[in-house]
Amino acid sequence: MTDPHRPTRWRLSAATMIAGTMVIAGFLLTEISWWFFLLTAAGTLGPGLLREIGWLADRDEFQRRAEYRAGYLAFLVTACVAFVLVAHIRSGGAFEHPERLASFLLALLWFTWFFSSLLSYWGAPRTAARTLYAFGTVWLVFAILSNLGSEWTGWAALLLHPLLAVPFFALGWLATRKPRLSGALLIIASVGFFLFFEAPRISREGSLTAIIDDGGMLLFLGPLIASGVALLSVGAEDENEDEDETPT
Amino acid sequence: MKPRHDIQNAVRQHRLMSGLTQEDLADRVGVTRQTILSIEKGKYTPSVALALALAEVFGETVETLFQLKQGDGHD
Repeated sequence: MTDPHRPTRWRLSAATMIAGTMVIAGFLLTEISWWFFLLTAAGTLGPGLLREIGWLADRDEFQRRAEYRAGYLAFLVTACVAFVLVAHIRSGGAFEHPERLASFLLALLWFTWFFSSLLSYWGAPRTAARTLYAFGTVWLVFAILSNLGSEWTGWAALLLHPLLAVPFFALGWLATRKPRLSGALLIIASVGFFLFFEAPRISREGSLTAIIDDGGMLLFLGPLIASGVALLSVGAEDENEDEDETPT
Repeated sequence: MKPRHDIQNAVRQHRLMSGLTQEDLADRVGVTRQTILSIEKGKYTPSVALALALAEVFGETVETLFQLKQGDGHD
């Protein structure tokens, strides 16, 4: 038997790479004009539209099912939030930044679809592990670059700031080996983070407005909480999901 | 709603007997390894077309590879 924790080869199709480039370019170009955001829209929705038309056949049936399930879940989650928001606004509630409300709904829709499709396709342990590795890597790069740049505060900071990435890598490593323990730790860490950083602001500014105005928190805590919940639901028989036995 | 028909399969056993890895089998039937893994784990029931393709690779019938779990679907 091969190492059960050996990662699956991760092949990105040409369509995925082109779409990803369009998404990132669109985001970056919004510094010039927000109309470039439509490039992000084309990158996000283009492959799916082409697949529905039948011009792009880069997914097998299991991948297509994962995407359909994710789409339905994204509809349910976003519609739930949208109903609450409509009720709130129609009841006289106001938002200081309506543009953030629109971005929040779009982020919620996209995030739920993306994360759910990963969960359906890879399963909880590997989705969580890759999410945590990605978070750790982003933090590591950010910590190094910010300390090397104009904010140079000495060698101690350069060495200590990247250490905050270690828990992400450690939990990512644990996610494929002890999913439920890793899930519990993730939930505890997320709740702690929320209580420490977010709760005071929410009580100060009013709950709904504060949550929506800080869409970044959704993109940070959302994957951690979703990973934690998914990991907690992993059964013992799923703990070696990556297994690919070599025939004898 | 809980599905009325739970399906069990013998894909893993036949794959191992045929000397194939999941990757080999995936290549033969034109899907990803993750799809084969999910079928073997019982998390995904393939379409009739894919079930037929799998049966063809092993030289078996679909019924040999996929069966209803006992006690399901015949009430």
